[in-house]
Amino acid sequence: MSTEDPVLSPEAIEPPDDEAAGGRFARPGIDEPFDAYVLDQTYDECFQANRWSRPHYAPLHELLSSLPVEEIQRRQLSCEQSFLHQGITFTVYGKDSSTEKIIPTDLLPRIITGKEWDEVERGLKQRIAALNLFLADIYGPGRAVKDGIIPAELVYGAKHFRKEMVGVEVPRGAYVSVCGTDLIRDEAGKFVVLEDNLRVPSGVSYMLANREVVRRAFPALFRSSRVRPIERYPQLLLETLRSLAPPGRENPRIVLMTPGVFNSAYYEHTFLARQMGIELVEGRDLVVQDGMVCMRTTSGLERVDVIYRRIDDDFIDPLVFRADSVLGVPGLFGCYAKGNVVIANAMGNGVADDKAVYAYVPALIKYYLGEDAILGNVETYLCREPKQLEYVLANLDKLVVKAVGESGGYGMLVGPHASAQERVEFGEKVKADPENYIAQPTISLSRAPCFIDGKFEARHIDLRPFILAGAETVVVPGGLTRVALRRGSLVVNSSQGGGSKDTWVLE
Amino acid sequence: MLSRVAESLYWMARYAERAEHGARLLRVRLEAMVEQGDIESSEGWRRTLYGLADISPEDPSADPRDITFRVGFDRMNLSSTMSAVVAARDNARQVREQISSEMWEHINKEYLRLTSLDFDWVWSGNPAQTFIDIGDGIWMFQGITHSTMRHGEGFDFIELGTYIERAQLVARLLDVYLSPAQDDGPKFAAPGYFDWINLLKQCTGFEAYCKVYTAQIAPRKIAEFLIFDPEFPHSVRFAVDKVQSALEQIAPGAPQTRRAACARMAGRLKAFVDFTSMDEIAAGGIQPFLASVLKQCEAIHGAVYESYITYGREEQAASQTQTQTQG
Repeated sequence: MSTEDPVLSPEAIEPPDDEAAGGRFARPGIDEPFDAYVLDQTYDECFQANRWSRPHYAPLHELLSSLPVEEIQRRQLSCEQSFLHQGITFTVYGKDSSTEKIIPTDLLPRIITGKEWDEVERGLKQRIAALNLFLADIYGPGRAVKDGIIPAELVYGAKHFRKEMVGVEVPRGAYVSVCGTDLIRDEAGKFVVLEDNLRVPSGVSYMLANREVVRRAFPALFRSSRVRPIERYPQLLLETLRSLAPPGRENPRIVLMTPGVFNSAYYEHTFLARQMGIELVEGRDLVVQDGMVCMRTTSGLERVDVIYRRIDDDFIDPLVFRADSVLGVPGLFGCYAKGNVVIANAMGNGVADDKAVYAYVPALIKYYLGEDAILGNVETYLCREPKQLEYVLANLDKLVVKAVGESGGYGMLVGPHASAQERVEFGEKVKADPENYIAQPTISLSRAPCFIDGKFEARHIDLRPFILAGAETVVVPGGLTRVALRRGSLVVNSSQGGGSKDTWVLE
Repeated sequence: MLSRVAESLYWMARYAERAEHGARLLRVRLEAMVEQGDIESSEGWRRTLYGLADISPEDPSADPRDITFRVGFDRMNLSSTMSAVVAARDNARQVREQISSEMWEHINKEYLRLTSLDFDWVWSGNPAQTFIDIGDGIWMFQGITHSTMRHGEGFDFIELGTYIERAQLVARLLDVYLSPAQDDGPKFAAPGYFDWINLLKQCTGFEAYCKVYTAQIAPRKIAEFLIFDPEFPHSVRFAVDKVQSALEQIAPGAPQTRRAACARMAGRLKAFVDFTSMDEIAAGGIQPFLASVLKQCEAIHGAVYESYITYGREEQAASQTQTQTQG
């Protein structure tokens, strides 16, 4: 692939570095349409420092260097049309009316080599195994706390600790059966875990939808690249849920529980229900009768065995959690505690994806599995510790500070991008309630090429793989690559101007 | 099938049928208007508005443009054709995992297309064509439904919704043309030759009528055709037959008592239409006959809700309050 084009690369005499087989076509930062592409010390998924593409990116780079920009624009447009027509949208509520918007998708795939992925996959499986053992422990014997691995107040005082779960039997110990773990690359290019999502992770439908449109946009490249398939996810999810069914139920009825059509992830709920061939239910469809959960059908009430729920803990059962919930089902938790119905994910998982508990996960892996963590953590300062708090307050301009119980990019300060005033104000908040905050060094997420306004530009990305744990633990290759589409932005959340990309794991 | 899903499918179908009917009435009216004088035309508009069950048939503005906007395009008017399309699509969206992707994508595309139309642009061109397109879009939706969705219980609820809506819409339209003016009702001039042709066209029945009765335009024959023809899809009888057969299929597993309530009402309506003759109607007045059809349709709607959709809700609500007070 390293054939040099004398017109495109007059400086081609310089020797490539040790990833020698890379390709050199349109040079980033120099040649159109890559002329606005920024290469600096941030890890770039596609390019090496010498402006050669990495070997596994070379075929894509070659294609992009030769296709007319108008052609890529046409394919991008047709992809957006397809999303709009399929209704792959989220709803933005305005003052008089609401509009449905598509989540921006960038056509250029993010590519990972099979070798690197295999290592990531092992790390993810190891991590979910440890986290499930941890949850079983804290809602059970509490060994890790007694052995001093993790402070008691951090666990039992966490916002998402649910005392109702203590002593509840969870099938196969799979507290977390559907997990979305956010990974980023550090400056050296190594994958590290940014956060775990153990409650109701979303985004898997975008992973599958992106694959559909990108395969259509680059059919030849897709075929020759030998990309690992991901289409089995719905079947794998169904098998996982089936393996959790209460004993003695031969043909368990599995349903997906949604908050309803106004939820921003509603498209995903309908998509998964259709793909798995299971009923999509709302709280108002379910009733509790004689300790069993039933759904109201035209033929009468029918028993439900497994609920894949996509509503938060708080809303599941107004008798146990939030009394004002109209989305939930009165009495549902009681049936669950008796083992008459299985709810996945279990309630109370939020304690293990808490941003402060996060700092202890490598130690927990060692404690429960006797292994070193395969995937590292981002270095984390706990503001609850006076010394670390002091460091955080003195270095607000270098750190990202996050509220412990929040998610979705809310309640955080990105120090280097904040104004002095914002830093002072946030610092006050941290001082007032240090236990609620953690801080991490600003990591410049890796960048990958995106198609923006007729040019190829580098944008920051992360990766959310989806892990399923039931009778066995499986990970579909890749996951959802999220993109911070605003130039220079590090925030990839779709609620805050992020988009996504298809992720190719090669054979 | 979930009761909530059945309810959404039923309403999706009803709104789609309503949208198609509204688009057809407007299209025929807009085309007829071109050939009519002012008086004739305004009489035609009043009939159309009444046939559409428009909430304010005596609207002060008699300007065809204002009327077309209000009953065709205005999304603030919940009984406009546009609102019916939006409601059909919203119901489809709530059950999109139950209907085929082809159905969903078609109704979603129609929705996106129609809601982006600019009324000034529509009116400045050929507005009738816009309504032809809306009607075609719905027909295609109904065709895609027939071709791609399993003809199971969900489909039966769609059939039920489509035909109960159609029976009511056609009965209401016939009432406007065939019932004698009453003291409290609207006063229309006796329909003329073109009005009868428009009535047939508004029921997509002109050609079908000619095949049965030749092009001889006789009000009594038109009434007979639009009420009793067993093979014409927009006759009252055809719709009533379909309602009855859909109800036979629905919820085979439901308790017999609940099924019987619906079956009894549908059977009674079918017998009423089957065994009433045109002579009887002519003698007893057509208005009471049509009013009875409308009333029986509403009763069937109520029975379907009680038997399959809202059953037992009160008892449950009561038992939940109890649990809560005990807890």
